[in-house]
Amino acid sequence: MTATERALPAGLRARVLDASRQARAAGRVVPEIPQITALDAFGRAAEALYQTLGALADDDWRRPALRDLDVQGLVGHLTGVESDLQRAMSGDPEVGAAEHVQSTQAAADRQAGRLPAQTLSEWHEAVRRTLTLVATVGLQDVIVLHGVPLPLHAWLVARAFELWTHENDIRRACGLGASVPDAPTLAQMTQLAASLLPVVLSQAAPGQRTSLHLVLTGTGGGTWDIEAGDTGLPGQGQVSIVTDTVGFCRLVANRARAADLDLYVTGDQSTAYGILAAAAALALD
Amino acid sequence: MLAARLTAGDDHALAEVFDRFGPVVFGAAVGIVGDGSNAQDVVQDVFVELWRHPDRFDPDIGSLRTYLMVLARNRAMDAMRSELRRIARQQRHYRLNTGEAPRSPGEEVLSADVASTVRAAIKSLPDSQRRVIELAYFEGMTCREVALAAGIPEGTAKSRLRLALAKLEAVLDRQLLESS
Repeated sequence: MTATERALPAGLRARVLDASRQARAAGRVVPEIPQITALDAFGRAAEALYQTLGALADDDWRRPALRDLDVQGLVGHLTGVESDLQRAMSGDPEVGAAEHVQSTQAAADRQAGRLPAQTLSEWHEAVRRTLTLVATVGLQDVIVLHGVPLPLHAWLVARAFELWTHENDIRRACGLGASVPDAPTLAQMTQLAASLLPVVLSQAAPGQRTSLHLVLTGTGGGTWDIEAGDTGLPGQGQVSIVTDTVGFCRLVANRARAADLDLYVTGDQSTAYGILAAAAALALD
Repeated sequence: MLAARLTAGDDHALAEVFDRFGPVVFGAAVGIVGDGSNAQDVVQDVFVELWRHPDRFDPDIGSLRTYLMVLARNRAMDAMRSELRRIARQQRHYRLNTGEAPRSPGEEVLSADVASTVRAAIKSLPDSQRRVIELAYFEGMTCREVALAAGIPEGTAKSRLRLALAKLEAVLDRQLLESS
């Protein structure tokens, strides 16, 4: 203790921390971000991608983008996903069990030889149909698509996540800088990712009780305390992970590795990195 | 990183900040308002303010330690001003009801926490300024009454009071700087 410091009176620490948490609940981000609906998040992500695609030159559409797809094929894949989501919303059980890439491959292949404007128009129309159909289905209704059962509102955010991810695949393929969703959309995406983390924790440390204190810094971030595993299971202690919000979203989208992130980890390191690896496996690609 | 964590609502970060800087903030508060509940109140105010508005801290302007010390100084000075106002109110009330001031008003009304600090700071003022402060705050006089008692024009009394308060603030501020 230096000459400038004084020993704290007993109880002052607890008193200060209690008063602080009463003034602002733990986990509450400041300044607060305006709330938007899941439908808004999907619409905004679709609009951002539409703007990016509209600015591309015809040659850009032939650039390799992801797997064996060029930009045009990747947009075709997205058209296929819209089509599958619409079928799922209509109660078609086939798309519930279908595999994400395989199920949309035909839509991707169909783009070969077409004009970019046709591909763009077809995808944009598919998005419009999704938006129309959503109005006829309850947002809390569970929709099973590509092996994943989620309430429709969560699917819309997941789709916003996918549109943003593929927009950046396309931007990277065309030599454009990365884009970041607006704060309310990003906040929806991080909320969704956090809601899926109990599953991630169970996968990362099966048969153990794990608690995660996750802090995502920057716009759209927040703090979450997540527990997984029965209380009777052996405990791992608490793992704390602090990282940048956008970097974490890229990791969950399987576009970044833990080593790429600016991480501050406390607690059991192997569990923490196991959680991050399991989070990256959430992506459907 | 700590600031970004506070903004994200990470209460663990708040605990870390408190553990790192709580003793020095408490030391600074004690330097101004004395060792007691007033200093603890200042510490609480400082950390609640940081937690409620972490975005007001700008690391480009200065360190978190400096920011907390400035908050501590401001809160402690607010506490001192509030104490002086309370003394003046109490003195006026007493004079109106009894017709005379208590024998040792400063001793009687200043809280034990701040009495010695304030007394020492006032003692360091030039005689003319110390006199107007004592009349205004310890005798509970208005500006006009201070002017009459000191035999100076009211405007001069006002300007001496302003100067005295500014010096008082500077003296107390210096104590904080020396303690940090």
